[in-house]
Amino acid sequence: MKLSISKRLAAMFAVASFVVLSVLGVAMHGLLKRELERHQSNELQARWTMYRPMVMRNDDAVHWAIVRTKFDNSISENNRVSLWVQGPDSHFRYGSPLTEEQQRSIGTHGFGQVLLPGHEAPLKTYSADVEARGERPRVRLTVGIDSTPFVETLHAFTVGLVALTIVGALGAAGLGYYIARVGLRPLDQLSGEARGLSPGHLSRRLQTDTLAPELSELAESFNGALSRLETAYQQLEAFNADVAHELRTPLGNLIGQTQVTLSRERSVTELKEALHSNLEDLERLRAIVNDMLFLARADRGERAPNRIEVSIAQEVSHAVEYLEFIFEEAGVKVRIEGDAQASIETSLFRRAVTNLLQNAVQHAPRGAEIVVFVLQQPGAIRVSVQNAGSGIAREHLSRLFDRFYRVDSSRSGSRENHGLGLAIVRAVATMHGGTVFAESDDGATTIGFTVASA
Amino acid sequence: MKVLIVEDEPKTADYLERGLREQGYVVDVARDGLDGKHMALEYEYDVIVLDVMLPGTDGFTVLHALREQRQTPVIMLTARDRVDDRVRGLREGADDYLVKPFSFLELVARLQALTRRSRGQEAMQLRIADLQIDLLARKAWRNGQRLDLTAKEFALLAALARRKGEILSKTTIAELVWDVNFDSDTNVVEVAVKRLRSKLDDPFKPTLLHTVRGMGYVLEVRDEQGEDA
Repeated sequence: MKLSISKRLAAMFAVASFVVLSVLGVAMHGLLKRELERHQSNELQARWTMYRPMVMRNDDAVHWAIVRTKFDNSISENNRVSLWVQGPDSHFRYGSPLTEEQQRSIGTHGFGQVLLPGHEAPLKTYSADVEARGERPRVRLTVGIDSTPFVETLHAFTVGLVALTIVGALGAAGLGYYIARVGLRPLDQLSGEARGLSPGHLSRRLQTDTLAPELSELAESFNGALSRLETAYQQLEAFNADVAHELRTPLGNLIGQTQVTLSRERSVTELKEALHSNLEDLERLRAIVNDMLFLARADRGERAPNRIEVSIAQEVSHAVEYLEFIFEEAGVKVRIEGDAQASIETSLFRRAVTNLLQNAVQHAPRGAEIVVFVLQQPGAIRVSVQNAGSGIAREHLSRLFDRFYRVDSSRSGSRENHGLGLAIVRAVATMHGGTVFAESDDGATTIGFTVASA
Repeated sequence: MKVLIVEDEPKTADYLERGLREQGYVVDVARDGLDGKHMALEYEYDVIVLDVMLPGTDGFTVLHALREQRQTPVIMLTARDRVDDRVRGLREGADDYLVKPFSFLELVARLQALTRRSRGQEAMQLRIADLQIDLLARKAWRNGQRLDLTAKEFALLAALARRKGEILSKTTIAELVWDVNFDSDTNVVEVAVKRLRSKLDDPFKPTLLHTVRGMGYVLEVRDEQGEDA
């Protein structure tokens, strides 16, 4: 089960105060007990000293009767006190007879204790000998005090301490809960704000200026994540719209053409013609879907799996060879400059270079030269395709690699070129741990990508 | 040529069956993995088309069971364009794979490539109507006249001539002629065909190189002048 922070803190406060109060209580209990015992001992010794002269002075049987009377009086005056005089001569004795067991627990000298019938608590005793004098032999005088009041005091004190400890711990828990709630109030505020976030209000952020420093850092990193999400979300939305648009045209054609064809009796030739036309659109849809699946692979963070170490210039020349007829048709020449060794997946790499060359040849004027530069840089190999041409405006450059992005928004020529070519270049670069770049000035445009080198 | 199709999607299975039957294959269809496994192990096939995503027993399981006993060529069909699926398929002994959506022609081309492997040496001399091709010398004649072809033009002609009467998709042509195995936006194949046509067909009759719209190109003798541009 998960406890809230406040409850957890309250419980911790309770445990902490319980421990502290318990330790204090045990210490105080010990201190009190020692004090009470010292007090008792002092009283015992004082009483013994008080009764001793009486025993000392009366040294014959006649006077011993006085001792008895005085002791009786003294006991009846203060029923807490018990007295014993023990000796070899039965004339000089006092007090109720003691069993051997009781005798042992009293001891012969010093402090002891004895449990008498009719008492809850044992009697504390002090015994010492009184010298022989006259007829009286050496006797042992024992003073006993009932310790019930002391035990009761200690008991009451203990009960009080335990009660205080429990109440204190509970109080600390309650107070701790309250403090935690107050202390965590900024968190409630934060979560309240976070509740207000929704895809409908993408630009909303958490207010950080009113937050405690501990939380504002968290809120700021959270805001950072929100910003990144917003960008991704917007891209996704735009992307979805683009996909829908790209797919809508061929789908519309397909539906319309099929409906028109089926609305009348048609000859086999006409039906064939319609099917062929449908097939063209369907192939286009397939190409788009396949490319999108490919891009999704790169988006998922997939890396090029089947890499081999090759000469980059050689791979570029393969792509150039593939497009040779296109270059001839367009009347452009292609030159490759530089070389480097890198570990790449050749089919992905050729695809990227093919797309770059294809893009270049579409923008290069007749008779121009396209140059592919292969440059070894620290940690990366840079492949760039440069073509002379009218150049691309700055605002387009950064978006060139976006899916379905076309510099001329009229989407002319979208028959052949469905606008994913450069997005695929970026995907290939990503899959090789690289990036893409585009530069353009009046005379020439350079577009390319990098692949990470070992 | 006997082929087994293991595919649960009814429409896909139906058009594959019909299409391949019309291409001259003897076709069996299994609608789930269990049937597929049973049939693949029980009967003799020249090639098996195996879908990965099958209810119950999936394609990998079928392939695994098959490979323990037989080496029948297998083409895997996968809807997920994921490397691990492909790598796994090839590692488990699949001979080829196609990612859905794929073109039917592509499948036919792959099937032929797989079954051709075992078919021994091809002829080095090809003849279609008055067209004569020497694959070894890399030369071609029409009506006794030598055709002046570049290396790539000849490669294109040879690819089409080797599969006389078969429609080759642009993707297949790009793969056969340029060793390019990816889709691209380029119209390289169209341009190449146009150039070949200007040397092969423009000066001669009958026309041999035909465009099949939306599908690709075919080299054959046709009775009537039909749909080429």
